[in-house]
Amino acid sequence: MSDFPRIQSAPLSLDALLSGSERDDCGALAIFAGTVRDHHEGRAVHSLNYSAYVRVAEKLIRDIEMEIAARFKVPLCRVVHRVGGLSIGETAILAIARGAHRAETFAAMQALVEAVKHRVPIWKEEFYADGSSAFVNGCTLVAPEDLPPAESRLHCTPVQAIESIGI
Amino acid sequence: MLVTVECCGAASRVAGATSLQVTLPPTASVHDLFALLSARSPEFAELLPRCACARGDAIVPRSTVLADGDELALLPPVAGG
Repeated sequence: MSDFPRIQSAPLSLDALLSGSERDDCGALAIFAGTVRDHHEGRAVHSLNYSAYVRVAEKLIRDIEMEIAARFKVPLCRVVHRVGGLSIGETAILAIARGAHRAETFAAMQALVEAVKHRVPIWKEEFYADGSSAFVNGCTLVAPEDLPPAESRLHCTPVQAIESIGI
Repeated sequence: MLVTVECCGAASRVAGATSLQVTLPPTASVHDLFALLSARSPEFAELLPRCACARGDAIVPRSTVLADGDELALLPPVAGG
């Protein structure tokens, strides 16, 4: 099951993501689903379109799964992300983590989702109720050595993101 | 040399296209490509400092020397999830 596509255009299936993930040495299973909400920074959102640079996104999500599993000592992490047009309430991202105990499994899940949000080339275009649209401004993937000094504050790393919420 | 540049996310809106064919001098780097694209419009010049460049399945630094036929991608700031 490790070779399933991480970027998918069809509706995401939790059953498919969980399939074959069971482990006798794990007492905790963390599940996260990110769904499309109807507002962003005070504006009413009608729908979203996610796009990805799939060649890099597929590789990076696999790398992040392995990296987080090793860092938090949990044996299994999986993430899938949807692309295409999504309506309010649809699932944009699904992630699962299995660990021996809940503490490291919760922590791994938090880091897993933050890393995917901040390091994988996926873009979100919001369509508003007034008919306009905009790409959500996120984290740059530019290497720190290539960023002009004035732009460095805009570089958001997963570590910074995790620290900002106290993990 | 001729390279193909896929414009992802907001870069497609700025470029007015999802893909560009760009002619560059021999031994041009990613930095040279970005300088050329920045001259196209103020919007490009504003966005490019925050764009990464991918070649194949890897993000490459600005110093990377390009080759004829390279397939590149402009990756603006990301916002998945």
